[in-house]
Amino acid sequence: MDVLYLLVPMSVLLVFGLMALFRWAIGAGQFDDLEREGERILLEDSPKLDTDQTPS
Amino acid sequence: MDDPAEQAGFTSWQQDAAGQRIAESHFALTGLYCAACADVIEHALRAEPGVLEATVNYATRRASVRWRTALTKPSQIVASVARAGYAAAPDLAEPARALRQRAWRDALWRLFVAAFCMMQVMMYAAPAYVAEPGTLAPDLLRLLQWASWLLSLPVVLFSAAPIFREAAQGLRQGQVRMDLPVAIGIAVTFIVSSVATFAPDAGFGHEVYFDSLTMFVCFLLAGRTLALRAQTRVAAMLEAALSRQPQAVQRIGADGSVTLVALRSLGIGDRVRVAVGEAFPADGCVTDGRTRADEALLTGESRPVPKQPGDDVIAGSLNLGAPVSVRVERLGADTRYEAVVALMRSALTQRPALVRAADRVAVPFLWGVLLLAAAAGGVWSFIDPARAVWVMVSVLIVTCPCALSLAAPSALLAAAGTLARRGVLVQRLDALEALASLQCLYFDKTGTLTEDRLDLREVHVLPAARHVGLDASTLLAQAAALAAFSSHPLSRALAGQSVGVAPPAWSDVAETAGAGLQAVAPDGRVVRLGAREWVDASQPVLSGTAGAQVWLGDERGALACFEFDEALRADAVDAIGRLREAGLSTALLSGDAPERVQRVAERLGVADAEGHASPERKLARIAAAQQAGQRVGMVGDGLNDAPVIARADVSFAMGGGAAITRSKADFILMSGRLADVLFARDTARRAMRVVRQNLGWALAYNLTCVPLALFGLFPPWAAGLGMATSSLAVVLNAMRIARTD
Repeated sequence: MDVLYLLVPMSVLLVFGLMALFRWAIGAGQFDDLEREGERILLEDSPKLDTDQTPS
Repeated sequence: MDDPAEQAGFTSWQQDAAGQRIAESHFALTGLYCAACADVIEHALRAEPGVLEATVNYATRRASVRWRTALTKPSQIVASVARAGYAAAPDLAEPARALRQRAWRDALWRLFVAAFCMMQVMMYAAPAYVAEPGTLAPDLLRLLQWASWLLSLPVVLFSAAPIFREAAQGLRQGQVRMDLPVAIGIAVTFIVSSVATFAPDAGFGHEVYFDSLTMFVCFLLAGRTLALRAQTRVAAMLEAALSRQPQAVQRIGADGSVTLVALRSLGIGDRVRVAVGEAFPADGCVTDGRTRADEALLTGESRPVPKQPGDDVIAGSLNLGAPVSVRVERLGADTRYEAVVALMRSALTQRPALVRAADRVAVPFLWGVLLLAAAAGGVWSFIDPARAVWVMVSVLIVTCPCALSLAAPSALLAAAGTLARRGVLVQRLDALEALASLQCLYFDKTGTLTEDRLDLREVHVLPAARHVGLDASTLLAQAAALAAFSSHPLSRALAGQSVGVAPPAWSDVAETAGAGLQAVAPDGRVVRLGAREWVDASQPVLSGTAGAQVWLGDERGALACFEFDEALRADAVDAIGRLREAGLSTALLSGDAPERVQRVAERLGVADAEGHASPERKLARIAAAQQAGQRVGMVGDGLNDAPVIARADVSFAMGGGAAITRSKADFILMSGRLADVLFARDTARRAMRVVRQNLGWALAYNLTCVPLALFGLFPPWAAGLGMATSSLAVVLNAMRIARTD
């Protein structure tokens, strides 16, 4: 039981640590566009340009 | 920001009667949490000296401000918004996007803090709920309460800070805002729980509500973040469309060299190079290269339109196929693109009657909630003092005026967005309400049902021609070649007919105004083309025809008669038929000759047609229909029928070129498709249905939940969940409108 007196304060610190981690992730823009990352796999690596070019 | 060149991105100027310059600027706003904020910002802006008028739209978070250039500056306007407690940035793409991104990150961060703390506080609260009485050591319970208190601090002080700020600003300005009940609820719960934690004997009881408190704040923020995300997406989509014009363009010099110049320094007649994937910087004409253009934003045409040398391109449409050269013909405010942007912006800042009504209800509603909560707290402190705080907090939290005030604007705006994607622009949001109950539709003829060109309907080969063995295609080729010498509308229509037969080379061509052309054929015949009297007065009039006629003949007499009809719009017959099927009565009102009007009406299957209708006559017809209790719509070209358009309940105008800037109609059909009238009506009906559902839902929610909370049947955490869901339900319901199939 006595270990709880250590674990409870530690869990509080852990939560603050996790919040700091997410602060960094949000600040780095990881949540700015939630749709795009999911669709990234569908994109071609390098978009082809001028595919419809006709000689004039 | 105060540099005129910079201002041009978000400001337009005009002069008032006294010759003073008045500017209208657009701003993107952040920090708004409830519809009442819009009022606050409006008041703050109007109090600024030099500001004539300010409109704020909550759903789009945009402000449009009219101000005197002599008295104030954009930076002062932004500062006055900041003093009211919000942030404003000029409605240019870049700063607005940055502002939105900051708002989104901030909202997400506050939500994360609330969510993590909530989860951990739940863990600390669980032992108190599950432990058998007496088995939980008192100092362990105390430790858990302290830990809960510590983790509730960031929730109350940081996550809920916008709610408190909002409420406090309202109080400072002597207003009751929507966040005030919620803020009081949070503050009361936190104070009572804190006192119970640190001074259990102070008379507030031993109960702590940290779990309810953090859960409520978390639910509330989650709902708001989702709503913010939905609105951000709409705003970003509109902005992506509106900010499409490139800032720098490749100008082709006289020697063929390409230089990169700013859009501002482009002039009419310049040639520019447009790469694949770029937007055309101005209205113009393709001079070199073939490509396809995506004009969906401007005309609603979803398929790429092929473009070759000589074709017109529209500013803001995208070049999809290949690099082309374009000669600039119209720039800046004259382009169709700019007209569309101006329209969209004004639609986004309007506050229709439905919205104003909801805003008026909100303030008495809030006072009612505060009084009810106080009364409930008082009564319960006699019945059961242990639950008094709890009930009061539930009442404060459960009421949701947000759902009421979001009901109409979210639906109307979603409808306007859906229509814009189809190429129908909404100039007046109020008109959507009238459109939903439209019964009777009047059409103008020229430019609306018909195009301003003529179609060849029939070639009558006369006996004289048959006698010498000339067939219809030879005669048509001859007439077309001859007609090419004249600029008369009938000649132009005739010259446009090519039949693949080599025409003769005419010599000595002469035109007599009002009669026709005369020319000498290679074989020496003198040929005439024109009116019947000019070609061969002895010919009898062809019976059974009402269209315009052109005759061809030589010394032997008349050879052929070409009969023309007005060209109907491609989808006119189909669209009118579908409108009739949908239960709308249709009628044709035109200033044109009665026979011609009758003829078009017959081809379209419209029974009620009237020619020679002066604007007064049209007005009288519409007024008569309105007196008979009908909702009347008018479809015209939008330029000449101003009084009629103003009188009709709903008006549509055909949009093309720069004309739409001058149009006063409620709706503009950019695509020129008449079937879009029906689409617009269906969308308006759906929007009105959603508004009714939303209002009904908001009302039903408040009427059931407030009594439940009053009788102590609603714990605060459930109240928080209910409030967040009811706001979210309204916003999501409105987004349904955009789904057309």
